[in-house]
Amino acid sequence: MVLTADVHLPEESELTVPELQLSSPALFAGSFHLGKYCEQANNEFMLCRLEENDPRKCLNEGKAVTACTMDFFRKVKKSCLQEFNQYANCIDKSSGDFSLKQCRTTQNVFDKCVLDKMNIERPGYGYFCEARVHDTKRPKPLEEPKAVYPDATPALPESVEKKPARFGSRFYWMTE
Amino acid sequence: MDQACQVARKQDLPPPGGYKPIPYKRIPAKTLFSGYTMFAGYFGITAFAMYLYSLNYKQILRDQIEMRSARMAIYPMLLAERDRAFLKQLRKNRDAEAELMKDVPGWEVGTYYGEKVYKLLPPDTLVEPIFHEYYAHSRPWEWFQRAYLKLRS
Repeated sequence: MVLTADVHLPEESELTVPELQLSSPALFAGSFHLGKYCEQANNEFMLCRLEENDPRKCLNEGKAVTACTMDFFRKVKKSCLQEFNQYANCIDKSSGDFSLKQCRTTQNVFDKCVLDKMNIERPGYGYFCEARVHDTKRPKPLEEPKAVYPDATPALPESVEKKPARFGSRFYWMTE
Repeated sequence: MDQACQVARKQDLPPPGGYKPIPYKRIPAKTLFSGYTMFAGYFGITAFAMYLYSLNYKQILRDQIEMRSARMAIYPMLLAERDRAFLKQLRKNRDAEAELMKDVPGWEVGTYYGEKVYKLLPPDTLVEPIFHEYYAHSRPWEWFQRAYLKLRS
């Protein structure tokens, strides 16, 4: 493998947290409210993940995301279990790709329950596709410095005479 | 012979008053719509159909955006879970390689007898191994299941 002994890999105990035991229909059923409930944690994690581009550096943010998700689904289980199960069942059985458009009736029932008991309003249909600005306390990773090659061909000096193009253009095949 | 010739003969002639005139005149089909009406109807129906199509098209776009939105809402959670499983497996792989090659003199884990694959990368860079390396120490059935996921989905 490409990983040598001096690459730091976290211990298994650092990586073991209670994981979600839910199937796709349940995740899709809760997706919009979940995204709204855990927006801060999700944005933090995704920003870290895209900036650092290294799963080892965002483990804590990832654990926060999982904990928040667990918390959300526990709350749903406590307050709106029956509506949630009905909605997830509809999503599971109405189409082959868990599409939400088949289940507006059960969705409205679930939305109303979540709004009443957990006070989370369902965001608009394109809310999570929008670009967003996230303010974070994590310092920005340093940019990779520009490579300097000692044997590079030196550029022309600034004082060199620059004649106008002979053929009126400097396209790539007109090297004059 | 004689008798046969004495039968009275009747010549085939036109009916009295002559034959009826032959109807050769063209009978055109009844025109329900004039040309202009038909053109107008074509454009009218097409415009209305395009309006209905645009409504449908917008609805489909909305549904697609909604599904994408739902996926993006659960994606961070799935990615976090995936990262942890991935790192766990990387550690298992490295330990398995060390265990497997411990009797080979001169073997260093992650290198070919001390020769690194990536020489210029800074130390402690996590290079994601390719698929076959990642599954190198797993059971063949698990490799098969992941490699031919298409067969089951």
